[in-house]
Amino acid sequence: MTAMAAARVPARRAALLRVWAVARRHAYVLRRSPHRLFDVTVWPVVDTVLFGSLGVFFARQGGPSTATQAGVAYLLSGIVLWHVVYQSQIAVSTGFMEETWSRNLLSLMVTPLRELELIAGVAVFGLVKLVMGVGVVALTAFGLYAFDVTDLGLGLLPVFAVLLASGWAIALVVVGLILRFGNGAEALAWGIMFVVMPLGGVFFPVESLPAVVRPFSTLLPTTHAFAAGRRLVEGGPTPWGELTLAAAGTVVVMAGALAFLAWMLRLFRRRGYVTRYT
Amino acid sequence: MSDVLRARGLLKVYRRGRAVDGVDLTVSRGERVALLGPNGAGKTTTLLMCLGVVEPDAGRVEIVGHRLPRGRSAAMAHVGFAAGYLPLPERLRVQEYLRMFGELYGLAHPDGQAAKGLRRFGIGHLATAMGTELSSGQKTLIGVVKATMHEPELLVLDEPTASLDPDVALRVRTGLARLCQEQGTALLVTSHNMVEVERIAERVVFLSDGRVVADGPPAEVAARFDSGDLEGVFLRLAGERQAAEHVEGVRP
Repeated sequence: MTAMAAARVPARRAALLRVWAVARRHAYVLRRSPHRLFDVTVWPVVDTVLFGSLGVFFARQGGPSTATQAGVAYLLSGIVLWHVVYQSQIAVSTGFMEETWSRNLLSLMVTPLRELELIAGVAVFGLVKLVMGVGVVALTAFGLYAFDVTDLGLGLLPVFAVLLASGWAIALVVVGLILRFGNGAEALAWGIMFVVMPLGGVFFPVESLPAVVRPFSTLLPTTHAFAAGRRLVEGGPTPWGELTLAAAGTVVVMAGALAFLAWMLRLFRRRGYVTRYT
Repeated sequence: MSDVLRARGLLKVYRRGRAVDGVDLTVSRGERVALLGPNGAGKTTTLLMCLGVVEPDAGRVEIVGHRLPRGRSAAMAHVGFAAGYLPLPERLRVQEYLRMFGELYGLAHPDGQAAKGLRRFGIGHLATAMGTELSSGQKTLIGVVKATMHEPELLVLDEPTASLDPDVALRVRTGLARLCQEQGTALLVTSHNMVEVERIAERVVFLSDGRVVADGPPAEVAARFDSGDLEGVFLRLAGERQAAEHVEGVRP
């Protein structure tokens, strides 16, 4: 008998099968780790109640003016859209970290799995978590504050797409930092989001920021995506100009994130950092 | 005999010094080779470079004709790897873990291959067990099943039987011997258990201070060092290393 007798799938299908294998592995992890549901259930509810109630409070203080009442919708639409970035980023970052926590990284690296297939598998399963997390925010906003995000119309879809890609790009940077600095960089998975949140103009126009940080804010694609979201809240047509800026910025950020990840991977292999996880 | 692994002039320098210094290593189809040496000799670094996980500072590696790092993914379809120190992910059942790796290796019928592998090592009853429910010996066996279920041309085992009781170690050896015989699988193994190595390997490569100091059949290598067995060779190399470190330490 010769080696390699086991039947294999064709090469093109093999890549998809590898992505699927990673995605399903993470589905098992979530199913058997109820505490990991916190990110997609409890946290979205807490965020929605926090920002929804803030909006209601200020609306009551400010009287019945249209601008004041619109503040509630700004905050609630902001938190729905924020969770698109947050969930997509956290799903990929923690998905990668799961492989380091379970010391599975070396085993994976000695299979035909390519680095981008690992990320793709984690991102594919991350879409499930994204639907759960954003769904919880949308339902809570509707149930507690009568805010229906679907009222914003189909124009919301390109905003979602840009924010999803932005979340993935941030996650690639976080994964790169973990490859370089080890598990000490884990805190960045959550911490980096608290930098993006104010700079990205999640709840307010960029003009509300101190002048000194405005240039940085304008450079972020998320800033333009959230601005587009607010235009939809105001009832305007789909702001394609703002969305084009956001999409172009996302392409640039994604390319930069991929280049950074490739650089960190080379360093990881050159310095033998895999032994941190064995 | 064609080569499944060909490494030439491997060099790896870390801050503390040269971990691997010009190592050549060849494993032919169906050959059973042991990579030996005292702690710090460069065995694991050499293995990791051969597997494409660590990038050598110089030298080249080819696996079944695929040059690393470019051909890493294609090469790894022909390689199985298990290490005694690698755990099983805790939140997976054994069959889920094996199915995952079967799919990563591109198997058309991963469940069937997993069941066959579990039977080969006499642990079919563990298929539905959770990773957390297994003893360390059972985990090692599952790791070996994972590494062999795609019938690789080269099986790389790093300390496969470390901390195993003699009964489980025997099952691992017997299962591996049967696999190598039936599939023509080449074996590259590291171990500190010289008795086990003499039973498994037909060729041994001794490393010391990152260099190959002996390469040949176990009996020949032992004779070259005026020793009756590999344990004597190992102890002599370890002693020389300790003496060198002592000299380094007392040098003014």
